[in-house]
Amino acid sequence: MRGTFLWRNRVLLTSGALLILSLHLISTGVHPGDFAARPTSIFLEIIRPIDAGFKHLSAGASGIVNDYLALVHVREENVHLRIELARVKSDRARLAELETENRHLSELLELRDVLGLNAVAANVIGSDATGVSHTLILASGESNGLRPGMAVLSNQGVVGKIIAVSPHAARVLLIDDHNSALDGFDQRSRARGIVAGLVDDGLILKYTDRSEDIRAGDTIVTSGLDGIFPRGLLVGTIKYVHREGPGLFLNVSIAPAVEFRGLEQVLIVTQPPPHIDDQVKG
Amino acid sequence: MLGLAFETAVPHLISARSLIPNLIVILAVDLGLRHHGVVPAIIAFGMGYATDALAGSHPGLNAFMVTLVFLVSYEFSSRLLVTNAFVGATIVFFGVIAADLGAIAIGSGLGALGESGPMVPSILLRAMISALVAPLVFSVLAGSKRLVGLPARAARE
Repeated sequence: MRGTFLWRNRVLLTSGALLILSLHLISTGVHPGDFAARPTSIFLEIIRPIDAGFKHLSAGASGIVNDYLALVHVREENVHLRIELARVKSDRARLAELETENRHLSELLELRDVLGLNAVAANVIGSDATGVSHTLILASGESNGLRPGMAVLSNQGVVGKIIAVSPHAARVLLIDDHNSALDGFDQRSRARGIVAGLVDDGLILKYTDRSEDIRAGDTIVTSGLDGIFPRGLLVGTIKYVHREGPGLFLNVSIAPAVEFRGLEQVLIVTQPPPHIDDQVKG
Repeated sequence: MLGLAFETAVPHLISARSLIPNLIVILAVDLGLRHHGVVPAIIAFGMGYATDALAGSHPGLNAFMVTLVFLVSYEFSSRLLVTNAFVGATIVFFGVIAADLGAIAIGSGLGALGESGPMVPSILLRAMISALVAPLVFSVLAGSKRLVGLPARAARE
């Protein structure tokens, strides 16, 4: 057995088979409910408490650690007072954090009321594991009514859509990811296009005819035609329009309305957006 | 899983994404250099697939890249007389670059590589930091393996 071709090349053959399996997964894609999607759900569930723990630690621990280090070598009679002071400082930092969270959630609630759609708020606990793609991890999942394909918003504008869920966690593909696309239009000129992410940071408006009247500073909003995002949500502002060069379409760069890195809470629209006719009438 | 938790949680807390080493590639290189068998290949694939659960939008993409990094490390280990930390760090350096650019090329097509020019400095920085951290991770892993009775050195065939 040990001298056979299969045994001698077992690592190469196994790796080759696994590479082919990977390529098969990439080319066919994994749909929610597929057997191949189960590990995603399991890994998300395992990662969720660890990421939430990291976030909790980072929010509270820095102040406590600094205060604790300051207490080392102080005189005995000051120890209790300083511990008390550290506790008060820590409480104050925690209260400030809660106040910020409360403000964010209030803003999201206002947004939900304005939209008139069913939506739930969720905490952001992590980001993409590789950094090549632009995704977020949320601390809410199927048990909160989240499903793949749902729109994710913030009080600043459109954030992205859910691409994977587990019972208590979910992943969001941000609109500035190079695999993301949504239907949008210029609010002033009504010129339509596809808002797509870039490999590097940023957004572009694709497939907009050269004859369209689009200018820097114009606002881009969702059209509602993609069936994911409700109509009229803020996507971003046009940075520049290049009319030079070959091609049928304009080269339009967009500055996203949302500061993706600073997101702490987001709103997920759990109800499909109404049909486009209803949205226009509304 | 702790490595993945680190990779997902820390970038959300600090702004400089490039400063965070790619632990999955480092682990895949360690597997390829020191463990020659079917199970390590499956573990490398599993690590990649776990990364897919927490990164990008194409399941299988990181599984492919991590398995490839494992295979290249294994091939180097089989052909080189010495597989020390320097060799490991060098493979990690090129492995991180290949994994990042490969993920862009496979995920969005070869044309997307042309757009990735602005990302190259940050990819290079990340590769360099991963390569610098790699010897430390290798020694921690070797120590852990000794503790649980696993072979810490390359198992040549």
